[in-house]
Amino acid sequence: MSLLELHHLKKNFATQKAVDDISLNIEKGSIFGLLGPNGAGKTTLIRMITGIFYPDEGEILFDGKKFDPLNDIAHIGYMPEERGLYKKMKIGEQALYLAQLKGLSKSDATQKLKAWFKKFDMDSWWDKKVEDLSKGMQQKLQFVTTVLHDPKLIILDEPFSGLDPVNANLIKDEIYNLAKNGATIIFSTHRMEQVEEICDHIALVNKGQKILDGTVKQVKHDFKENLFRISFSNELHAEHLGIFLFELVKKNGNEVIIKMNPGHTNNEVIQYFIHKGLEIESFNEILPSLNEIFIRQVGNTPTARQFQETN
Amino acid sequence: MNKILLIIRREYLTRVRKKTFLISTILFPVLYFGLILGTGYITAKSGASLRIAIIDSSGYFDKGKIARENAADSSATLVPVSIAADSLKKNFSSLGYDGYVIVPADTKWEEGLKNLSLHTSRTLSIEGANPLERKLNNIWNSVKNEKLGIDESKKKTIENSRVDIVPENVNDQSANSTTASILGVVAAVLTYIILMLYGSQVMMGVMEEKTSRIAEVIVSSVKPFQLMLGKIVGIGLVALTQITLWLIAVFLIYNVTKASGTANSMQGMIGGMQEVFSSINVPFLLFFFLFYLLGGFFFYASLFAAVGSAVNEDMREAQSLSFPLMLPIIFSIATMQAVIKDPTGPLAVWGSIIPFTSPIYMMARIPFGVPGTVQWWELALSMFFMVGGFIFTTWFAGKIYRTGILMYGKKPSWKELIKWGFRKN
Repeated sequence: MSLLELHHLKKNFATQKAVDDISLNIEKGSIFGLLGPNGAGKTTLIRMITGIFYPDEGEILFDGKKFDPLNDIAHIGYMPEERGLYKKMKIGEQALYLAQLKGLSKSDATQKLKAWFKKFDMDSWWDKKVEDLSKGMQQKLQFVTTVLHDPKLIILDEPFSGLDPVNANLIKDEIYNLAKNGATIIFSTHRMEQVEEICDHIALVNKGQKILDGTVKQVKHDFKENLFRISFSNELHAEHLGIFLFELVKKNGNEVIIKMNPGHTNNEVIQYFIHKGLEIESFNEILPSLNEIFIRQVGNTPTARQFQETN
Repeated sequence: MNKILLIIRREYLTRVRKKTFLISTILFPVLYFGLILGTGYITAKSGASLRIAIIDSSGYFDKGKIARENAADSSATLVPVSIAADSLKKNFSSLGYDGYVIVPADTKWEEGLKNLSLHTSRTLSIEGANPLERKLNNIWNSVKNEKLGIDESKKKTIENSRVDIVPENVNDQSANSTTASILGVVAAVLTYIILMLYGSQVMMGVMEEKTSRIAEVIVSSVKPFQLMLGKIVGIGLVALTQITLWLIAVFLIYNVTKASGTANSMQGMIGGMQEVFSSINVPFLLFFFLFYLLGGFFFYASLFAAVGSAVNEDMREAQSLSFPLMLPIIFSIATMQAVIKDPTGPLAVWGSIIPFTSPIYMMARIPFGVPGTVQWWELALSMFFMVGGFIFTTWFAGKIYRTGILMYGKKPSWKELIKWGFRKN
């Protein structure tokens, strides 16, 4: 079942279409990767989902009902890319304040904060000021304040920027945990290796439009080029490779990369090599990385925001 | 609604808990009165040191008269000398005089001394020469009196018998124009200070939220309008707290001095204050003072918030964009004297109805009496425009704020801000 459905969302700013007819379905409990280059419209899309902007056209369904920003934002946790905290405020006080703005009672919020602070080794921070924290520590605090009120939908914009690998893993584990416990997570980034690792489902937007949508596996499958890497233990000769089954892309010692011609199967290729008396050491299909797909889809379009957004 | 209360509480508590709040609350009145007393003292002190030599060839300025005058008034000293005019002209500085006058021999007492030259080595202002002129005139008067045969008792009669005017308003017996002027100035200056000080605090607060990028986190929990309103009300309460503390201090001083009747150096001022308190309708004035203080604050603060939301980190941007807001505030305090001088003139009447100037103008006028000086219809119209004005600016600024708070990049102009303000959602 979908937690969030976007139907034909549009948002125009003075000089440009920031979001131009985007529809999406995000399943409950999934980790959804929202990808796109800078200025593609991700932030505008997210701001509509978080009730900061009203869409010019289209409809948002949240948990099966029409999205009602006033009440539904209590079930959303949003960590913007450009995040910040009150520098002069004490950490405990600040986290409490943000939690109460989300509708938690003071005692509830205190209890939950204590638990999270313990989990993240932040117990001793309560009375410190934000300006005394390192950037990574601030990031952890920001993450805690985002998820403290047990939101159904968590939107994280570049959550790992500025984090060292240890803390990045800590946050990553928490993201898995939250999803396992039923929260839906939208993860916006342009770091593709993280997306491949974490997300079940992705959508790629560019210039305000959705150009891709599907599971990570599906997308990779859609963009595969039937490339295979085969290595042999015996020596390869040129005459082994001239055949209608495939074209040679690259030969490197006893390893070849071939592009299989349409209409043939893996078994035919393997049989062919066995028949030639070659011993196969490994046989792998080369799937494109999301990074390659991303660059291929977006790279040759003149992109990025040409104008500062003016609402 | 509950969320606005949370925001108000945070804005209020973080500010009131700061040491700077306590310090400014205590230090400000001390500095302010220090400044007033200090400038008075310096002005009184600075004219005292003139030493002028006098060569009298006419015989009117005898040593006894000069000595008597020097003893009575020390703000300038006359020293009779009997050296030649030429050598005095060359040497008066080295002899320790600031200047000299020469009374010619052909002076007649019936004609007086017109165009008597005071020779100095530096240029004296009119005020610098005043004490000397006064002194010479006093001596001259006694010369005339002697010649006309007027003795001390006749002189007293001449001095004491005169016409004095006391302004009395037939509509309002209690209004006393001196007290009213003082009260008007105090109330208007206080309003001015609060508008400037706390208006820019609102602007800085909004800028802080924008530059530290917490604004986007917060507007994903509350509406931008709620955030803005919460901030303005919170800071307004801080201003109110400060004013209340000052009023309590005044009240305490008043009561303590009344009870103990202590005679000290402050007595003159406090005595004056007691007189003021007993002659006016305190609750009435206090109500309007708070009304115009808060009305003016809300009127301007939301505009300051809009400016704060539109600019980036750069303080200079904020200054140049907020200058048009400060202009009417500065204008009204600068022209306040004219209003106090003529509290029923057209500038005073219309200025106290237009909400850009009314918080300061009206506070300068109300102590003169309602309905004696300020007509009831003026007051009603002014209050109506004040309330309508701040509702309008808050609504208008709210729209600018909503756009500005999430926008980074080039500083917009006022023209663009106004466009944002009037745009439909």
